[in-house]
Amino acid sequence: MPETPPRISRKRKLWISVGILVVMGAVFGGYAYYRLMWEHREPLIQDPEERFKYGSIGAEHDAGVPYWIFYVLPRMFPEKVPGPNGLASFGVSWEQGRELPIGFTKKVIGIPRVGNNCAACHIANYRTRLDERPTFVTAAPGHTLNLEAFFRFLVDCAKDPRFNADNLMHEIALVTDLDWFDRIAYRFLIIPITRKRLRERETQFAWIYHKEFPEWGRGRDDAMNLTKYFMIKVKMDDSFGPSDIPSIWNLKKYDREGTTMNWSGDSHDSYSVIMDSALGLLGAAPHDKNEFLDQVKWLQDYLRAKAPPRYPFPTDEKIAASGKNVFDQHCAGCHASEKTGTRMPLAMVDTDPERIGTWNKENAIAANKVVRSFGIERKGLVEDSLIGYNPPFLDGIWLRAPYLHNGSVPTLRDLLTPPDKRPKVFWRGYDLYDPVNVGFVSQGPEAERVGTKYDTAERASHNQGHVPGTTLSDQEKNALLEYLKTL
Amino acid sequence: MAEPTSPPKRGKCFWIATALVVLAVPFVLFGLYLAFLLMQDEPVVYADIREHFKYGSTGGERESGLPYWIFQAMPTVCAPHLPGPGWASLGFIFEDGKDLPVGMSKRRRMGVDRTFINCAACHTSTVRDTPQSKPRLYLGMPANTFDLFRFQKFLFDCARDPKFSTEYVVPEVARLMREKGHRLGLLDRYVVYPIAVGLMRERLGMLHGRLGPLLEHTEWGPGRTDTFNPNKVLFNFPLAQLPDREKNAAVDFPSIWLQRRRQGMQLHWDGNNVMAEERNKNAAFGTGTTPPTIDLAAIGRLEAWLLAEEPPKYPYPIDSSKAARGALIYKEYCASCHGSSGRDFAPPAGDTSRECLKPDERDDGLYGPYVGRITRIEEIGTDRHRLDSFSYELAVTLGTVYAGYPHRYCHYRKTFGYANMPLDGVWLRAPYLHNGSVPTLRDLLEPSAARPREFYRGNDVYDTTRVGFVGSVAGQGGQRFFRYDTALPGDSNAGHEGRPYGTELRPGDKDALVEYLKTF
Repeated sequence: MPETPPRISRKRKLWISVGILVVMGAVFGGYAYYRLMWEHREPLIQDPEERFKYGSIGAEHDAGVPYWIFYVLPRMFPEKVPGPNGLASFGVSWEQGRELPIGFTKKVIGIPRVGNNCAACHIANYRTRLDERPTFVTAAPGHTLNLEAFFRFLVDCAKDPRFNADNLMHEIALVTDLDWFDRIAYRFLIIPITRKRLRERETQFAWIYHKEFPEWGRGRDDAMNLTKYFMIKVKMDDSFGPSDIPSIWNLKKYDREGTTMNWSGDSHDSYSVIMDSALGLLGAAPHDKNEFLDQVKWLQDYLRAKAPPRYPFPTDEKIAASGKNVFDQHCAGCHASEKTGTRMPLAMVDTDPERIGTWNKENAIAANKVVRSFGIERKGLVEDSLIGYNPPFLDGIWLRAPYLHNGSVPTLRDLLTPPDKRPKVFWRGYDLYDPVNVGFVSQGPEAERVGTKYDTAERASHNQGHVPGTTLSDQEKNALLEYLKTL
Repeated sequence: MAEPTSPPKRGKCFWIATALVVLAVPFVLFGLYLAFLLMQDEPVVYADIREHFKYGSTGGERESGLPYWIFQAMPTVCAPHLPGPGWASLGFIFEDGKDLPVGMSKRRRMGVDRTFINCAACHTSTVRDTPQSKPRLYLGMPANTFDLFRFQKFLFDCARDPKFSTEYVVPEVARLMREKGHRLGLLDRYVVYPIAVGLMRERLGMLHGRLGPLLEHTEWGPGRTDTFNPNKVLFNFPLAQLPDREKNAAVDFPSIWLQRRRQGMQLHWDGNNVMAEERNKNAAFGTGTTPPTIDLAAIGRLEAWLLAEEPPKYPYPIDSSKAARGALIYKEYCASCHGSSGRDFAPPAGDTSRECLKPDERDDGLYGPYVGRITRIEEIGTDRHRLDSFSYELAVTLGTVYAGYPHRYCHYRKTFGYANMPLDGVWLRAPYLHNGSVPTLRDLLEPSAARPREFYRGNDVYDTTRVGFVGSVAGQGGQRFFRYDTALPGDSNAGHEGRPYGTELRPGDKDALVEYLKTF
């Protein structure tokens, strides 16, 4: 007799179905999580130079752009790129054979994403002659980088009606083979979300679209305003103060008691400066706090010990020695003394005051509060009004052209010229070095083609002040320049 | 006996369901057919490697293929844009009984036969002994007669011509098909070809927008191409904004035989890459491929074949005692840079690892008076447009190509000179210098002031005295050759001159040297 199968009750059936659905949902959800959110951990780069140049500091989480979108944007929107060479036109430092420029990191968090690290701004390239490939110097000022254009580029692309899934997917299909999951995810999630996130930046970045503000130009960054609008999210004010991206080598010089950092002495110590800059790159609280603190500590150790680069042309020891006498007599009082790296009233140097107006005591208190709210301890920003510019240490000064905090004087020789005789218009961001005047070539067809125009009549760009040294004899100036090359 | 069972009574539902199924069948079948068409991707394959080289696919038709029948119709529809009758007037070579020229491959893709150029278009040509003799085909030699510049221009001009429309193209396609005993189907006539014409107009219009500025440069003429400015189009660099020194960068097509012995050499005219595979993949962009659509297996076959493929021997008599005298001169003047003979050349131990360029890698090893190394531009003194067209910015941007694949480019580097080439099969590689500015070997041994200031390119009749192609004839049998003017930007014939380069030798010694070079 055939056995009748045991009857399953209707209720039980229902439960089994629900169970199957839940398991399937969980499997699919897990898979989707893995494909969209799972962070692939990669071993730390061992070589310190490589790590500084290409190591992730965790900026791919909130500030990261999906790799394939980042990849196709310059080719989809060449009209928004400041030059004929795609991503390279932004003045990034890019080594041959590398997939991304220095300072750009790639990390898989579900999908590959691109973020930045400190080296994006703190790397210099120079050439000693025309027919030569560039030499890269880590921790040096990114004098070629057009940071403002890069900020605008991403936002402007996202605002363009051509930034849609159809066009982006078509362009991506020309360069790689995405699998079915990525195709769906890019079309329906990643592209729309990226567009939204990038468009949101427009309000934060409102001041870089301010019609009355001139361009920062290559090598400059309105750093304190960036902090204001990003970290403490204050309402846009009328202040504007782009200044040179600084060198960040040899930070142990700031260990001395009483020194403060940044152009106006706005921050207490190197740990705080690195911390705040890195948080700026993350654009949010760190995803993994301990990992982030380890990164910052490593950066601090690396940058404290990093030696300034040697001058790449021959120097005359005898002339340099006589230049040292000139230096001791005319410069050392500010640049090699107890005063160096400490606050000094503006009247003492009388350079362009605008940068001082971009930051104040309340901003500092607010910013310190934000960082504390992440559970991060640091000495932090100086909770006091700004009074002027700190006389800087001059280590590796040859590679820190153009000069003064706002980069308004192209060469050291020009800086030793009375303010009204200094170049009124020049071009920044060309990488050919001028060993005669000590700085970068800033005039002529190539400098004009590659560089951005700097007009000292524009706001925050005046080249006044810093008159010591301008009355020296030509011989003394030459000797002094020779000595400065050796620092 | 069992009673016959009466068929069960069928309800209304059954009939409705049956009707739906019957109605659905054609849709399902049509859907399957469309799916089949969309999935279709069948290249014409050739077992014989030489046939594969001439007519096989690199995968370029997938992304860039022209519908086969439209390709056949274009010379008629757009006849006024061609210099003469048919594709042959652009220097394409037709072998007897072939419907496509050498260098065009065919692949059935999404229900349409498509065709596009392959490697042979630029690396195959012909030689004739006299204007009357039959041309001999040589694979792997520079495509001395093929005019890639005008081919591009023709495609753009044709696509923009009002006649390039369904009205003109489809009837011509139908006529051509009838001639060959085929019929143009309804789907093709009313859907496929009208759409194809529209798509071609759009795509070629887009390409014209990007490549158009190149057509303003010094015209390349047959046998030449601008290698790296079109490469910039891949990244959509706006060519109109290029600085002048990067423009006008046409160079001779190279020969592509004997690749194995080139391993470890700096490849390309400026020696910007040591990896043959990267060079080849980049050249394949010129055949219309993209990273996802390149046919790596098909290209791999060619790469393997070209490793050992020998250059053709010089087919005319050689004065052996004169050549023997030339050998001594060669040894003294040429051997250090160009290798000890036409077969025996080896670069000094260079980087043959496959590892990517390392940070701060020194460049010193790239330069020097050795074969496969580079002579700095201030020393060689030849036209520098090609050198400057490969900008540092382009070199680094090439590092992004094939990202996500194991074969991402990581060897492109900016150099500051031209590479010292081995001279295997040099007799077929005329005109000479990277930009093909000197018609014959004998002319190359004269100082630039004494080299021809103007000559004609595109003739395949061989000049056995001066060793190179006849460059003094403006036209032949209705065909006009291309006048090459060395005064135009990018076309200078200066450089590679002075005592070390043999231009101060006595005339008899120069003749002997040229005689010896015939043996290479």
